[in-house]
Amino acid sequence: MSAVELTETYACTPSTERGRGILISGDSKSNTITYTNARSVIMMNLHNPLQVSVYGEHAYPATVARFSPNGEWVASADVSGTVRIWGTRNEFVLKKEFRVLSGRIDDLQWSPDGIRIVASGEAKGNSFVRAFMWDSGTNVGEFDGHSRRVLSCAYKPTRPFRIVTCGEDFLVNFYEGPPFRFKQSHRDHSNFVNCVRYSPDGSKFVTVSSDKKGIIFDGKTGEKIGELSSEGGHTGSIYAVSWSPDGKQVLTVSADKSAKVWDISEDNIGKVKKTLICSASGGVEDMLVGCLWLNDYLVTVSLGGTISIFSASDLDKAPRSFSGHMKNVSSLTIRRSNPRVLLSCSYDGLIVKWIQGIGYSGKLQRKENSQIKSLAAAEEEIVTSGFDNKIRRVSLHGDQCGDAEAIDIGSQPKDFSVALSSPELVLVSIDSGVVMLRGTKVVSTINLGFTVTASVVSSDGSEAIIGGQNGKLHIYSISGDTLVEEAVLEKHRGAISVIRYSPDFSMFASGDVNREAVVWDRASRDVKLKNMLYHTARINCLAWSPDSSRIATGSLDMCVIIYEIDQPVANRNTIKGAHLGGVYGLVFTDEYSLVSSGEDAFIRVWKITPP
Amino acid sequence: MAFRMGVGGGNTSSGMGVAEQSVSTFQELQRKKVYRYVIFKIDEKKKEVVVEKTGGPSESYDDFTASLPENDCRYAVFDFDFVTAENCQKSKIFFIAWSPSVARIRPKMLYATSKDRFRRELQGIHYEIQATDPTEMELEVLQERAN
Repeated sequence: MSAVELTETYACTPSTERGRGILISGDSKSNTITYTNARSVIMMNLHNPLQVSVYGEHAYPATVARFSPNGEWVASADVSGTVRIWGTRNEFVLKKEFRVLSGRIDDLQWSPDGIRIVASGEAKGNSFVRAFMWDSGTNVGEFDGHSRRVLSCAYKPTRPFRIVTCGEDFLVNFYEGPPFRFKQSHRDHSNFVNCVRYSPDGSKFVTVSSDKKGIIFDGKTGEKIGELSSEGGHTGSIYAVSWSPDGKQVLTVSADKSAKVWDISEDNIGKVKKTLICSASGGVEDMLVGCLWLNDYLVTVSLGGTISIFSASDLDKAPRSFSGHMKNVSSLTIRRSNPRVLLSCSYDGLIVKWIQGIGYSGKLQRKENSQIKSLAAAEEEIVTSGFDNKIRRVSLHGDQCGDAEAIDIGSQPKDFSVALSSPELVLVSIDSGVVMLRGTKVVSTINLGFTVTASVVSSDGSEAIIGGQNGKLHIYSISGDTLVEEAVLEKHRGAISVIRYSPDFSMFASGDVNREAVVWDRASRDVKLKNMLYHTARINCLAWSPDSSRIATGSLDMCVIIYEIDQPVANRNTIKGAHLGGVYGLVFTDEYSLVSSGEDAFIRVWKITPP
Repeated sequence: MAFRMGVGGGNTSSGMGVAEQSVSTFQELQRKKVYRYVIFKIDEKKKEVVVEKTGGPSESYDDFTASLPENDCRYAVFDFDFVTAENCQKSKIFFIAWSPSVARIRPKMLYATSKDRFRRELQGIHYEIQATDPTEMELEVLQERAN
């Protein structure tokens, strides 16, 4: 049995929400940044963004994660109000889990000695903020003073210890301790106060708000001592702020799509030193929602999920930008002519190009950004099906997308495939039949009389296989614009979910909702490989290797199983836990490289070592 | 007081008896090791559990799985040889209740209700496995259970 190992991971982007900032954090010793997406906590190395590790143990969407000051532990929080503390080494072993708040946690900070943690967020009742000991969970203070969601909190990094919190009630509250008690409150902002951060030496802290202002306070007493100058300031809500390691500059990001570096002078007035704009299309996705100053790196995150890394020592240098998917990657495909380039798409309408070995290569700029159900690529064009009953054919020249020609097919497309050798033929299955398209015209809509769940057309356009709700596979030959039924195969015990022809056209494989996959010989229509029952949940996708010698199945149970066609099924290779939430896309790029994508918005490249 | 067991009469809830021959074949596998596996079938006409097939000691696990019908139930006994972590050669007897989900409901009910009675006749079974599809009685499952 050969082994399968993970060679590359293309990470997802942080999940963002319009109108709110996100908080990313990092570890300066290892140059790693950490952010969250759905239930995963992602730790990405800034030197090499392909080096990513993922913590997937939260039961609810994770919101913020932070390294402890000594870099050994990570405390991560989620929308249920739970904080999990786990080790960075040794397979993320869990130290403790606490239910801290009764609602979502928006920010979390460690004390500089790593013994206490303060968490703030939204809660029913009045406990919007809680500080507790990291190992026992005992409370270290009482935090009244807020009446609305507390968006951010900060712990003074030097003695005497203080905690500052700020939130949607426009207030900035100052607490002394431990045990922490309310000391004073400031209402200098006229809108949500989005972020508060202490300078590394603890002498001051800065708060930024949706009223476009930033205010500087004394670290020990909590009195206002200055502000960020409005000259050259932001023209949109400021979502996040981060101090430089020397405490003399701050980085802010805003909804006006720019990031600004400010010099904080002796008399505590901030002056804009440089405005950083990431060159982009200028749409809503370029609003910047998160930032972090880590050693020499200035990291900014946009609403569309693009992470840009600027150099602090050379502010004029163009940033390194990369992005990824934010949502479930439902389709993955390659073009035969260039198998090193992968195209992936997620239902929010994003199509991303990836190059093996390099990573993110770019987003396909489509003229209209409608949602996509699935994607197929022929040589010079991509065909997408949408939830709006339309199939779009977009010509692809290099990286540029031409205009999309939308074809309305009259009902919701369930599954579709393109005849690769004669790409004007597209077969789309709808609820009770199929629609045949040649070019941009619907040539026929055929009602088949049974509920169709999956379909595939052969690459020369001569044959099609349609799978039904009852598990039967109907084979049709295509003559002109009609289908002639040739045979009905019964073996599956559940609705067919996917059917694929082998590249050499001698076999086809089908997978169903009842976890079973079957390989059939095309000419004789006999079962070639059976008992492929090793998944524990529905099979979502299926891929053939280019030489038709192996087949991979991906399922909702998060596993990918690779079978060799000429060997017994006992010799299969299983990749457990390939994608948190289920595997939705699979494609082989060469004989021994398999790429998978899933619900966690990640794309992973696996290498099979031949026996 | 004579205690009549097995032959002809039945005290299973399904009314099945156990043939003498089934028990003696099992005992031969257990004591004299003349068989690798024995497959039992319920003969409805004679109303008892009889031996359907036996396999010689040189046969493999794959031969055994190939002898089980795809859509009918059976009982089977397999003599599994393995080497433990401490490097000693051991042999354990597995009782497999083969009841595939594709089989019809009647054989499934029959075999399920008669299993207990039959199992009691076979003294010396180390492990029992219930398999409803081929993946549940893979060699790996036996390897995991045996120690």
